[in-house]
Amino acid sequence: MGGYVVSNAVVALLGVGAAFTVRAVRRSRFWSDAARELARRRPLALLAIAVYVGVGLADSVSWIDAAGGVQGVEAHTPRSLIDRAFPAGFQERSYSAPFAEVEFYGGAPLEHPGAHWFGTDILGRDVLHLTLKGARIALLIGGLTSLIVIPLALLFGMSAGYLGGRVDDAVFFVISTLASIPNLLLLIALILALGRGPVQVCVAMGVTSWVGFARIVRGETFKLRELDYVQAARALGASEARIVLRHILPNVMHLVVITFVLLFSGTVLSEAILSFLGIGIDGSWGQMIDQARDELARDPIIAWNLAAASVALFLLILAVNRVGDAVRDILDPRTLVEDL
Amino acid sequence: MRVGRRVWGAIALLALIQIASCTNNPYPDSADSVKVRYAYLPGPPKTLDPAVSYNYADHTILANIYETLLEYHYLQRPYLLMPGLAEAVPVEQTLPDGRYSYRFHLRPGMRFESDPCFARDGAGTTDREILASDVAFQLMRIADPETISPVVATFSKIDGFAEFADRLVALRSSDPEFGKRRIDRQYADAEGVEGIVVHGPYELEVVLHEPYPQLLYWFAMPFTAPVPWEAVDYYDGEEGRPFFKEHPIATGPFRLTRYEKHNRIVLERNPNWYGTLHPDWRAPGTVYPSQGEPGDAEAGLLRPEYVGKPLPFLERIEFRMEKENIPAFNKFLQGYYDASTIIQESFDRAVQEGRLSPAMKARGMELEKSVDPDIYYIGFNMNDPVVGARAGDRGRKLRQAMSLAVDVVEFDRVFQNGRGVPAQSPIPPGIFGYDPDYVNPFRTPDPDRARALLAEAGYEGGIDPRTKRPLRLSFDTPDPSTRGRLTYQFFVDAWRRIGLDVELNATNYNRFQDKVRDGAYQIYMWGWIADYPDPENFLFLLWGPNASSTNPGAPNTSNFVDPRFDALFVTMKDMPNGPERLAKIREMRAILQKQRPWIELFHRENYVLYHGWLQNVKPAGISLPASKYVDVDPTLRTERREEWNRPIVWPAWALLGISVLVTIPGIVTFFRERQ
Amino acid sequence: MIGYALRRLLYGFLVVQGVLGLLFVLFFLYAEPMDMARRAVGEKAPPAVLKLWIQEHGYDRPWTDQLRDHYVRMLSFDFGRSDADEVPIARRLREGVGPSLSFTVPTFALGLVLGVALSLFVAYFRETYIDRTGVVIAVLAMSVSILLYIIGSQYLIGKILNWFPISGFDPDPRVLPRFVAMPILIGVVAGIGGDLRFYRTVFVEETSRDYVRTARAKGCGDGRVMAFHVLRNALIPILTRVVTAIPFLFTGSLLIESFFGIPGLGAVTVEAIQGNDFSTLRVMVFIGALAFILFQIVTDFTYTLVDPRVRLE
Repeated sequence: MGGYVVSNAVVALLGVGAAFTVRAVRRSRFWSDAARELARRRPLALLAIAVYVGVGLADSVSWIDAAGGVQGVEAHTPRSLIDRAFPAGFQERSYSAPFAEVEFYGGAPLEHPGAHWFGTDILGRDVLHLTLKGARIALLIGGLTSLIVIPLALLFGMSAGYLGGRVDDAVFFVISTLASIPNLLLLIALILALGRGPVQVCVAMGVTSWVGFARIVRGETFKLRELDYVQAARALGASEARIVLRHILPNVMHLVVITFVLLFSGTVLSEAILSFLGIGIDGSWGQMIDQARDELARDPIIAWNLAAASVALFLLILAVNRVGDAVRDILDPRTLVEDL
Repeated sequence: MRVGRRVWGAIALLALIQIASCTNNPYPDSADSVKVRYAYLPGPPKTLDPAVSYNYADHTILANIYETLLEYHYLQRPYLLMPGLAEAVPVEQTLPDGRYSYRFHLRPGMRFESDPCFARDGAGTTDREILASDVAFQLMRIADPETISPVVATFSKIDGFAEFADRLVALRSSDPEFGKRRIDRQYADAEGVEGIVVHGPYELEVVLHEPYPQLLYWFAMPFTAPVPWEAVDYYDGEEGRPFFKEHPIATGPFRLTRYEKHNRIVLERNPNWYGTLHPDWRAPGTVYPSQGEPGDAEAGLLRPEYVGKPLPFLERIEFRMEKENIPAFNKFLQGYYDASTIIQESFDRAVQEGRLSPAMKARGMELEKSVDPDIYYIGFNMNDPVVGARAGDRGRKLRQAMSLAVDVVEFDRVFQNGRGVPAQSPIPPGIFGYDPDYVNPFRTPDPDRARALLAEAGYEGGIDPRTKRPLRLSFDTPDPSTRGRLTYQFFVDAWRRIGLDVELNATNYNRFQDKVRDGAYQIYMWGWIADYPDPENFLFLLWGPNASSTNPGAPNTSNFVDPRFDALFVTMKDMPNGPERLAKIREMRAILQKQRPWIELFHRENYVLYHGWLQNVKPAGISLPASKYVDVDPTLRTERREEWNRPIVWPAWALLGISVLVTIPGIVTFFRERQ
Repeated sequence: MIGYALRRLLYGFLVVQGVLGLLFVLFFLYAEPMDMARRAVGEKAPPAVLKLWIQEHGYDRPWTDQLRDHYVRMLSFDFGRSDADEVPIARRLREGVGPSLSFTVPTFALGLVLGVALSLFVAYFRETYIDRTGVVIAVLAMSVSILLYIIGSQYLIGKILNWFPISGFDPDPRVLPRFVAMPILIGVVAGIGGDLRFYRTVFVEETSRDYVRTARAKGCGDGRVMAFHVLRNALIPILTRVVTAIPFLFTGSLLIESFFGIPGLGAVTVEAIQGNDFSTLRVMVFIGALAFILFQIVTDFTYTLVDPRVRLE
């Protein structure tokens, strides 16, 4: 029951983390230039992403009370800001078309005529509500997975690249092993082994995705290790950890950013595929698409459920892809002057 | 550049091949003149071993291959047993020692299909006569633990059944060589089953130590079909031979000729079927019936060109695998399958106001409706301290309240297009004991009364006085698929409206079974399809001694135990159908009404759509060899298929044209700029 | 050279061991013998019968025994029988390879040719509206989930336009093309977006190099320059991408085979997942990994053939 408390805490933490990041970016000329350039090139895509993030965060903040005239069980269930944007008891009996006043089958009058902008699904739930809630899941998938991938890859990649020798051999072996197993298969096997909750799915996706990035980090660390000032620092006797943190890590950050963006769209699309196979996360757009698949076969067809989830998914991925391209162009070392 | 040109050439050729093969007909040969029936299955058969197969999909194939001693009349309702391979339906006889005996007399001169397994001893013959010992062999196979037959419990009523199994196991474990001997010799050495006596080549006697008149129904199911020991011995999966469970030996009108279980299964006429070998016998199972139930003649099931004619009419049956039901239904609409159930998504297109829609009628289709002999219900675990018998009156009122909150007509409408008869009691229409006038007061939705009952039970407004929050209950279900969870969510929402907080715990089937075994469940949803048309096959699901908590694997998963109900059941089960039996059933029904171990939901209605070129279709809820009665008009079918499936090619040309048009200006501009 | 080859093979072998170890760990975490028994034998079977099944399949032995057995059998390619229906897994593999290849190979070939050709075309016209539109279409195409391609095409092509059967498969050469037409189409369209962008980047990079300008200045026709020189020099990255994709030809596309009813290796895998058939799943993952490792080695070697500057150490 305390799940929503954790969720609220995470949002608070994210807020704090965001504040810190903004401060760090402002301090560095490299990063603030990059950010400005990105805003210049892709204002629309960034705006779209901001909207998604806003919706996702709004759905993550929830608490229990009886406001808004809710009764019964609903009064004892945590409701998020998104939930509260919709009236109490908003559920109908079954399907209804967008903005309709009557049920889709049978024509009986709705309890909230004209209020369902995207219609309702088979259980009468408002499709707009469901779609908005899906944003949180999508962001969770992309975000949490990246949160697992990036530290893992950095840790292994940098230690392998910097320390070399046995450590490198061991890490490279692990990387080769994981990389040899077809992604989807490993993912499925992991999920079946770990269970079907959202955290487990993200962990499984994290485990299958960190390898590629780790390899890149390892390569970069190799190159950076040979640089003059790094050699100098070592000669001077600085501790290895310090060298890695102060000299190597900042110089792979651009890779981190690029990877984060690329990984994001990949994982969200993968989750949709998992939903199709029945092992995805509850409430995700992938699951909505899976549910709605049958509705296309109806006559007359019911398309609003599928359309809402597909468009939401498509726009997010498109925005992320566009931003990802721009980020890669901006941060690509060949077009950039770095300050070390 | 020569390389480039060759590549382009290859692409063009590929494209041309695709365009030339542009048709959506999945069958390589049109089979205009051959009477083939095209059908589909939702998945590959689990097994074609008649001692093991226990699901409807497998029986669709098996029932046509294995003919049994008795069979059901194709048209009569209520279901009527008539002789099949046996000459007559036996009458129960009481032996001097108090045991109960049934004697079957097989028709002499029947033969198994030709198969290499019969030619092993170089005798030159490829088939063999069907004997009473073959039925005995099959019954012993059911007893044999290595067969893993799911119906051992039922057949254990035969005298000496369990003892035979014990002797067999003891012999096998004491001597490792024993288990490698020929299977019929193993059974002989274990001295067979005392209650299965073979009197000569065609006479079989089955002796029970308790009365069980429903035994005869089992002799209309593939479980009791004659099986040759040669086949079980020969088809052991070694040296590239298939297993027996993939290689049945036909005693029925069709035999298996092609078994690609993930793709295509083909049955063809069995020339050794007794109906084909001896048409002069005019045995009841080999000619088309001349009588049926009222309404059959009007439905076109008693056409003069068929009545009395020898069966079968088809020459071949082809089954394809269709894992997804939407493409399957669409292929049916295109004419590539002859019959289909109606998927929910297309229901309104096919059926309007309970009758076939004009669009479908115009295509020559017909609709057959029937109520399946089954019951779907939500059950309570009576051992649970909150919802069960241990909560006494409180628990009872809670169950009654939850029963009043469920509107099954609504459920039916949303999820099944209204295809389902709301159930008032466990017994479905068509089975003795069903009362069309009975209305269960707790199955008529009444949310106000439900809330009142909750208050009486101490859960005012649904609030649990101990936690001050809505009473939290657990709904355990075996189907974690998206669609399954949507259906369960409907009930969760219904209970939510009376204030209860029911949590849905959908796991896969295996975990659910574990929960049942451990008693770790409160509310669940289940269904039961009749094995045979008798009320005992429904009421035994609530009989005390069948409780699964005391008897793992037993069917009373509600663990409902009521001494009066149990006593009534024992008397009722052996009574012949009549007013006395009905009175007992009514009393049992009254107990269920009050105690509510189940919330009865519905009896499924089966809607089958079939094309105009298929004749003599009558759906049956019980497994029956239907394909031998059915006929097909292949010329009509080919005509219709061509008419309905003309490819629409213009969009492809349009797309090509547009892309060419769009790129040309760009190319032209570029070249011009470079000049 | 031989030394390198041997070392590579040895390393590959070690990685295979690692893969097997990981598989075994997953197997232990996930597969519940009771589950498997129920799936295989049937849900109505009594517990005694289920225990018998577990014994027969050796799932009740200590984990050390099972581990050794696992390694020995996988490495000797003794795949045993499926947990679900006792059919030898090797037989299922053999039966599944044909259907999988029947659509993955044409998809691969067509996708490659089309991808390279279109990218060359677009790169040739870089900075014009053709190029820009091409890139935009590629990004749009990439952003659509493959699920939507499958659903959409089944609806459109199978139901409305009647071009090809909605799903199904038949190896009979008279009808095979119609069944694989849509899977190939979807495979190509779904992949073309990513391919186009990748190849285009590579080609654009190449064309901005000096030798191209020199060639042009010398008077070589542009088309010739593109097709011949640029393509050849861009081969390494293209080759890497191509060869890395080859192992996936065998594992087939799980989704496509599942939705189009093609009984290939992908379908075998999906069934194994849905049926909790870990013995089959184990084999599928092993084969996939093996193929991947082998082709990695092959890639390394083909580098030398393509680019003499690359020397293997």
